[in-house]
Amino acid sequence: MKRLPSAIFLLVLGACRAKEPSAGSASSPPTPPPAVPAPVLGFVDETRGATPVEGGILRRRLVGEPATLNAVLQSSLPEQQVLQYLARQLLDFDARLLLVPGLAERWEVSEDGREYRFFLRPREVWEDGSAVTSADAVFTIRQITDPKIPSPVFKPLFDDLELVEATSPTSFRARFRNRDALHAYAFAMPLLPERRFSGRPFAKARENRAPLSNGPYRLSSWKTQDAIELERNPRWSGPPAHFDRIVFRIVPEEAVAYRALVEGTLDETWIDQSLKERSARDRRFGACCRTVEFYNLDYNYIALNNRSPLFSDSRVRRAMTMLLDRPSIVRNLYHGSARIISGPWAPDSPAYDAAVTPLPFDPSAAAELLDSAGWRDTNGDGTRDRNGREFEFDLLSSAGAKTGSEIDQVFAAELARVGIRARVRPLEWATFVERIDRGDYQAASLASAASDANPDPFPYWHSSQSPPRGVNNVFYSNAAADRLMEDARRELDPGKRRDIYHRLHRIFRDDPPVVFIANASQKYAFRRRVRGLVTSPLGLYGFWPGPLAWWGIPDDSVAGGRGQ
Amino acid sequence: MTRYLVRRLLLAIPTLFGIVVLVFLLLHLAPGSPASAGGSPEAGRRVSAAAREEMRKLYGLDRPLPERFVKWIGRVARFDLGESFVDRRPVSERIREALPATLALNGLALFFTLAIAIPVGVAAGGRPEGPFDRTSAVVLFALYSMPLFWAALLLQTLFSVELGWLPLYGVSSDPAPAGIAGFSDRLAHLALPVTCLTYASLAFFARLVRAGVVEARSQDYVTAALARGLSRRQALWRHAFRNALLPLVTLLGLLLPGLLSGSVIVERIFAWPGLGRLYFDSILSRDYPVVLGLSLLGGVATLAATFAADVAAAIVDPRLREEA
Amino acid sequence: MIRRLSGSGRIALAVVAFLWAVAAVSPLFARRASEIRLGERLQAPSPGHPFGTDDLGRDVAARVVVATPISLAIGLVAAGVSLVVGFGIGAAAGYFGGATDLLLSRLIEVVLCFPVLFLLLALAAFLPPSPATVVLAIALTTWPSDARYARAEILKARNLDYARAARAAGAGPVRVLLRHLLPNALPPLLVSAAFGVSWAILAEAALSFLGVGLPAPASSWGGILSAAPAYIEDAWWLALFPGLALFATVSAYNLLAESLRHATTEAGRT
Repeated sequence: MKRLPSAIFLLVLGACRAKEPSAGSASSPPTPPPAVPAPVLGFVDETRGATPVEGGILRRRLVGEPATLNAVLQSSLPEQQVLQYLARQLLDFDARLLLVPGLAERWEVSEDGREYRFFLRPREVWEDGSAVTSADAVFTIRQITDPKIPSPVFKPLFDDLELVEATSPTSFRARFRNRDALHAYAFAMPLLPERRFSGRPFAKARENRAPLSNGPYRLSSWKTQDAIELERNPRWSGPPAHFDRIVFRIVPEEAVAYRALVEGTLDETWIDQSLKERSARDRRFGACCRTVEFYNLDYNYIALNNRSPLFSDSRVRRAMTMLLDRPSIVRNLYHGSARIISGPWAPDSPAYDAAVTPLPFDPSAAAELLDSAGWRDTNGDGTRDRNGREFEFDLLSSAGAKTGSEIDQVFAAELARVGIRARVRPLEWATFVERIDRGDYQAASLASAASDANPDPFPYWHSSQSPPRGVNNVFYSNAAADRLMEDARRELDPGKRRDIYHRLHRIFRDDPPVVFIANASQKYAFRRRVRGLVTSPLGLYGFWPGPLAWWGIPDDSVAGGRGQ
Repeated sequence: MTRYLVRRLLLAIPTLFGIVVLVFLLLHLAPGSPASAGGSPEAGRRVSAAAREEMRKLYGLDRPLPERFVKWIGRVARFDLGESFVDRRPVSERIREALPATLALNGLALFFTLAIAIPVGVAAGGRPEGPFDRTSAVVLFALYSMPLFWAALLLQTLFSVELGWLPLYGVSSDPAPAGIAGFSDRLAHLALPVTCLTYASLAFFARLVRAGVVEARSQDYVTAALARGLSRRQALWRHAFRNALLPLVTLLGLLLPGLLSGSVIVERIFAWPGLGRLYFDSILSRDYPVVLGLSLLGGVATLAATFAADVAAAIVDPRLREEA
Repeated sequence: MIRRLSGSGRIALAVVAFLWAVAAVSPLFARRASEIRLGERLQAPSPGHPFGTDDLGRDVAARVVVATPISLAIGLVAAGVSLVVGFGIGAAAGYFGGATDLLLSRLIEVVLCFPVLFLLLALAAFLPPSPATVVLAIALTTWPSDARYARAEILKARNLDYARAARAAGAGPVRVLLRHLLPNALPPLLVSAAFGVSWAILAEAALSFLGVGLPAPASSWGGILSAAPAYIEDAWWLALFPGLALFATVSAYNLLAESLRHATTEAGRT
């Protein structure tokens, strides 16, 4: 599945956590979790060599109510979490970021890299027994590209689509205007049953709240703001999932979800650094639960508006990077469970070049850079200035992002020492997003929830993509980088493409668009009864099969182990 | 009296109109839009200005403000609150879903608040500066100054996690038991949130009742009642308390609407599917139709409550009638 | 006046005086309060840090002290603005009656019916978050209830003999209101105002919890408290000390107001 949503964004900023990629907390849990096999990319796979147990209920947590269960209209993490059980995708990402067949059993790319042909698996059916056809696929893609339909997740992926048409009941072709090596990534998308939507306004269709499933489960009940329940889909013909029922409870507060886990009314939840620290000391938690921690592709940064007279000079942006004490932040705020980054990818992204070492924390070198850029305190008021303009700015952040706001304060304190006045200013989410999107800011604390395996930096950093046209909302412009980004898109050979990314990475370090901070680990807490976890750079959920591979043993068999 | 009632009812119309205009204006002038609030940060980053403009059109936000207002008011006059931007369902349906949970929670909380605050206030006012007055003041103010979110989390840890006596969150267990067991299950789920809403408002009510009683105590009619041989207790409850009742009734009128908007914090912490959460989420996601619908509902409720309070006051004190 | 105060009133007065004294010396601690030492985060109270340290290693004691004037000001100014505006509008409505009353009463009702939470959020979004904004937002939501009180009190009082006498003697409306009606209407308003002070301080805490309070580096008691839920079992000192400060303020103001009200009514009777 794809691009995580808003909740995660905030959560990510609030995230931090420990090194060990495995389960288990320090407080000697009575039942040790299964031994962790040799990690792939430093990750966990508990399914290998284990025999799943069938049946039972899985109680998962949603941070908010899904607005819709229409796969095309989805835009938030809770929606994605539920839909993963109901809506199979044409293609999937697996735990290693590779594109693998889903509803489509295979696909072909034309010579010029612009046309894709997909061949659907025969005998895939919807919940009501009707076949999943290429007409459904074409219908779905046409809805996504319809300007009247809000499909924030998928629309950008198809914006240069030229045509899509069925070539047989089980095959279709899609043609794009430009050549892009990674166009195939767009097809990691679910399908909708065309028949069900004919003759009704799409956005208001009944199906949006009662979706027709073609996945392993189907919707059995939805209690607004309370719970969503799924049961097995009897028509599902793929590899069976293990639980009989999936119950999603909507629990907005993290701290409450943690308590629910310990109490036994939830089986899993995302947790933040403070809850992780707490879980390590909490005897009750140790007896019934465990934490799982790993790195995904998220990272955070402080966006600097490159169009602002303050940050248009590359030397100033370098100085800003050298003024953020990233080692201390990683050590103290993340307790070591974060990795400093030097470019716009997480270290586990294939585009990231580990040889590009981050700029050091060096206030005196930074001060020299600022001096050389002309920012000196000429009027003796303690703040640097240039041509009568003081070096002061608002550092925007999204309210409620705890670690983000802590970093902002640390940064502001460090800047004050070298004569730069930064005012930390938290804004409510919608206001914050609007200001960032418009480029109406000087500096802002942001996170990239890279829940997509696509490392293409083009939409975010290419100079042609500045607002209003695109989403390069820091207005970064570097001719050499532009050229490399264009080359990377056209390069079909993965090895050569990676080399281009690595060259780009060096530019991003030496002429930084923003202050890159770190890739912090993701932390989850689970009841010990839940087994079969697999982590990936896309998180615990964002890939196939993800949560569908989990199974549960009865809680009392865990408790039985406790007595010994 | 009838004339007074009719007059008051007619006056409610301009007030409601004023509220609606104000909310409408503030809502549409506030920064952020459904296009920036909806979806993900990730989507937000990917959505270009052009795409956002499309979304604004979709929501009808490209039309001039007055036109949108007239259209909305026209629909409201036909008892149609429109449909939510977020899930495209009728606003009335979304409100109807969330209303019962909120009414149950806040109704009970108000009941317990009064049931505790009135006796405490009367007792404290009976002997101002006495030991009970002083102790209760300290206890009440201590409760009052405990932030809700803090107390709620502590109560959860104690009663749900440590002791296991009460459910942690939600309106019912999963699966919900049937019959009597189901009813007591629901009551158990109400216990902690009701406690949280009650403890914080005790101080205000109790001290208000106390103040009324203290004032009445020194009035001639109470002295006279005592002289007539009524016991202290009778004098307090029959006379002093009645005097304290009037401001309390007025205040209740002001507080009733709070029962509708509920407490966001309590509803969030206890995952309570009520109006407070709906309201807060709708503001954050700039779901204009839902915010407007809820504001209108809140306005009607406030007016109804103040109206009832004024009528009650007018019955008690005929002087107020002519001037209202 | 002080001599008329009851025992608890005097204690309350002493506490209020102490709080303002703390506020007065608080600038001395500003440096210490903003000093971030990540290596010393979340330390329990010790001789070096009597109230412990917070999530960024700042000294909680210094932060509580530095927050004192901000929180006190939020409470006092918000309640003051609310009282002045509320009394002005309510009294004018009650005194003049007729069309003025009709209009002003509608205004009071409109703001009264206006969803508080929404107003606070909208203002927080509109205006840069600063102590002044928060005060303004809170005052804007509380004045209508003061106005209703004032109106009711003035209605009761304006036909009493002394008011009639003053008017007969040729006193103008402002003079009658301020010299004759205000002193009578004030005592009940005082108690409401004292709660207004506490309400404002607590509302600021709730706003901080919902993420729209004062910007992070400025400390208010509410701001320190709102960081506490994350560490509620581990770092009790984060909640306890600002909570105690809040308790002291709330109790002191309310007891003082009650005591003053009592003293003035007694004075009025003799």
